[in-house]
Amino acid sequence: MRKVIERALRQAGLELSEVLQASNGEEALQTLRDNQGSDALALILSDINMPVMDGLQFLEARKQENLAQGVPVVMITTEGNESFVLRAIAAGAQGYICKPFTAEQVKARVLPLLRAA
Amino acid sequence: MSNTQDEAVTRLDSAVAEVFETMLERSCDPLEGEVDTVEGRIVARIQFTGAVDGECLLYASQATASVTAEALLGTPSEPHDPMVDDAIGELCNMIAGGWKSKLASPDSNCSISTPAVTRDGLEGYQAKFGTKFSRKYSFQGNVFGVVLAF
Repeated sequence: MRKVIERALRQAGLELSEVLQASNGEEALQTLRDNQGSDALALILSDINMPVMDGLQFLEARKQENLAQGVPVVMITTEGNESFVLRAIAAGAQGYICKPFTAEQVKARVLPLLRAA
Repeated sequence: MSNTQDEAVTRLDSAVAEVFETMLERSCDPLEGEVDTVEGRIVARIQFTGAVDGECLLYASQATASVTAEALLGTPSEPHDPMVDDAIGELCNMIAGGWKSKLASPDSNCSISTPAVTRDGLEGYQAKFGTKFSRKYSFQGNVFGVVLAF
């Protein structure tokens, strides 16, 4: 899915200088810890359904550790379910993308957040 | 087929078509009647837990899995490329998620697992759930199967 998302972002016309990847929430937290102090991070995209630590747990842990504050987060999910969305927003997500998605939908969700950041 | 199974099949067909049209930009149609053209070497499995307990399996030959991964990722896949397993797992995840999201409440109140992908095939597979059906689909001549049990 990471590769699919990266492809969609490029198709959406975003010039990505570097993409940091993690295969689950725990790895993502470590990536954020390793990059603390760097202001190059522009956006976090996270699947909800992941092994080891899922996307909602990742968001909650990120909030608790104050990692990458101010960086917009967009959740990617097969769960359009309201309780998931509300929990994601409470934990700091600014938007979500439902799978399956088109590059246009990714663009529509991501670009406004990048402009606002 | 019972009404419950008819509805489940219709929802599955719709979820498969939606995933292929949106993510792979391909049309994918169900194959009617007896079709025995899927070797089923690669199997991805998603489990449902909650209001619905069950599972969704997607199985495909190595060749079909490679073509599917290429269509999903937009890049050619190498032989034994782990990206093929990831792509098949993700496809199963989206199809199972799409099927689940089409369930009416309260049945939609169930969670889905992360996909597990094996190369064991389907030999000896027996569903532990009351309702089970399998369906085969074709896109551009590539055939794969989906088993849904709940």
